Amino acid sequence: MGGTELLQFVLAGLKNGSIYALVALGFTLIYAATGVINFAQGEFYMLGGMLSVWAYADLGLPLPLAGLVGVAATAAVGGVFELGAIRQRKDGDPLALIVITVGGSMVLSSMARHLFGPNERPLPLFSGGGSVSVFGAVLEVQTIWILGLTALAVVGLWYLYNRTGLGRAMRACAVNRDAARIVGIDTRLMVTVSFLLAAALGALAGLAVTPLTQTAFDVGPTVGIKGFAAAILGGLGNPIAAVVGGLVLGMLESVSIAFISSTYKDAIALIVLLAVLFMRPQGILGRSSREKV
Amino acid sequence: MGERTIDIRTVAVLALVGALVFAVPLLTADRYLLKVLTFVGINVIIITGMALLFGYAGQVSLGHAAFYGIGAYTSAYVVTSLGWPWLGGVALAVAVTSVGGLLLALPSLRLKGHYLAMATLGFGEIMRVVFVEARGITGGPDGFSGIPFASVGGLAIDSAGANYWLIWGVAAAMLALAANLVRSRAGRAMRALHGSELGALACGIDLTGLKVRVFVISAALAGLAGALYAHVVGFISPSTFSLHASVVLVAMAVLGGTRSLAGPVLAAALLTLIPFADAVIPGLSRSALETIQEWQEDIYGLTIIAVLLFVPGGVAGALRRLSRVGRRWG
Repeated sequence: MGGTELLQFVLAGLKNGSIYALVALGFTLIYAATGVINFAQGEFYMLGGMLSVWAYADLGLPLPLAGLVGVAATAAVGGVFELGAIRQRKDGDPLALIVITVGGSMVLSSMARHLFGPNERPLPLFSGGGSVSVFGAVLEVQTIWILGLTALAVVGLWYLYNRTGLGRAMRACAVNRDAARIVGIDTRLMVTVSFLLAAALGALAGLAVTPLTQTAFDVGPTVGIKGFAAAILGGLGNPIAAVVGGLVLGMLESVSIAFISSTYKDAIALIVLLAVLFMRPQGILGRSSREKV
Repeated sequence: MGERTIDIRTVAVLALVGALVFAVPLLTADRYLLKVLTFVGINVIIITGMALLFGYAGQVSLGHAAFYGIGAYTSAYVVTSLGWPWLGGVALAVAVTSVGGLLLALPSLRLKGHYLAMATLGFGEIMRVVFVEARGITGGPDGFSGIPFASVGGLAIDSAGANYWLIWGVAAAMLALAANLVRSRAGRAMRALHGSELGALACGIDLTGLKVRVFVISAALAGLAGALYAHVVGFISPSTFSLHASVVLVAMAVLGGTRSLAGPVLAAALLTLIPFADAVIPGLSRSALETIQEWQEDIYGLTIIAVLLFVPGGVAGALRRLSRVGRRWG
């Protein structure tokens, strides 16, 4: 395999990896705030694409505005889901909450089918179908958009976490919820905010990818599982780890297609998921925390 | 709750329900109804394991449809392609799913938290890919057809009524075993675990060992149900064993309620019948049925959420209230 060909696989890995990273960030934000895995995370990805298509094709909005509407509306759905379902379970039993998100996932995808139909729906490329050449490898302009938006989201999140009061409150909440409450942080509000943000990040991924892949009501679970695998791979609860996990997973998939076969491509993420869960459940960047009785 | 003694009223109710269930093929010749009720019986076998796992051991599996599928494909392959006897196929299906369950449960249950839910999700998706891609054994996305009916020796179980009795016979036997289990020392340990893991641990209960054993039992029951299913319908394809099917099983367990077998069994019957409502409601119009099927997913999803938020006891809680009322009146 030549260098150019290898570079092509690396670029594809980066593209998919940054999508996984955005979805993984959603998992990690909600996990940090609640200790719960949100199995509806993939549906936020689906809704981001679907609602943008709806705003663009059905409402006739210009593409940038339609994308904004899609992401904002999905964030609102995430907030409503938290307020309407997660928050209503007063005892916060993690097992019950996890199963509630499983139910929520089913309802969200089904609602999307009722509202937008069962067919795949397209979105135009953000700035035409051009591509640039990187050392002989082809880089589509839409891929640049995907990488750029991911980078923007990561920088924005970093700024939020490190430079704003809200971000500090969220971090405090992730470290120790009871202690955060004692110093006057509204921990319930932080949970809602984390759902809003997670939904927006997932939606951004769905919006950025839809021009390349189209979208449909049932695309959520597959991407959700990969984002989840990426979050576990990096180490749950740590945003940087989620991004690293996403990119590593994208690369692993891409390399495995190059060197092994594409038949079991979708199984790679899952095998990685199981391997990490069994051998290093704290993730590649996580510190080992032994459970004490 | 009497653990060792079963009161006479319960025995009477069980005997009555059992007699009714087994009399169905004598009362109707409606092949469609029998087939649908046979599906209910198959789901009752799976849900017996899920009730032990979710309701007693407090663990969620998002991959039980995979064990169901492994059981179905194992028996279908060795019986149809290799010419094994039916009983051998079913036995191998149970053995393979037991080992699979053990290999999955051992590493994930040694960790605290809800790693099992995640591991089973990953496992279920891997198996979905395998069912589609391992064409040599599974027939790929087009499915596996031409699976023969169950037969023992020269006796073929090839009518709708006979299949109904076979499935419900196995279901009743598995329920009896499970009922025995929850009344045993292991059952008490499971209840203790549900109350407080720390407390159970302090009482000297081997938590991990217990959870692993319950998971293996539930995987084996799903495998058994899958093997039976393959020979009842004669055709299997990957879509039957998807993540979606696993989630529906979770919905049944959640709706059924915890620390109960009767609750989950009723819930399984109820949710299984939703897409086949026309079999049990005579005169249901075609359009009404289509509306029900159209909203089926929403019904499952909202059921999960509503039960967990507003009626955590599920069907089991309702049954307990009912039996208290019954006792007061009796």
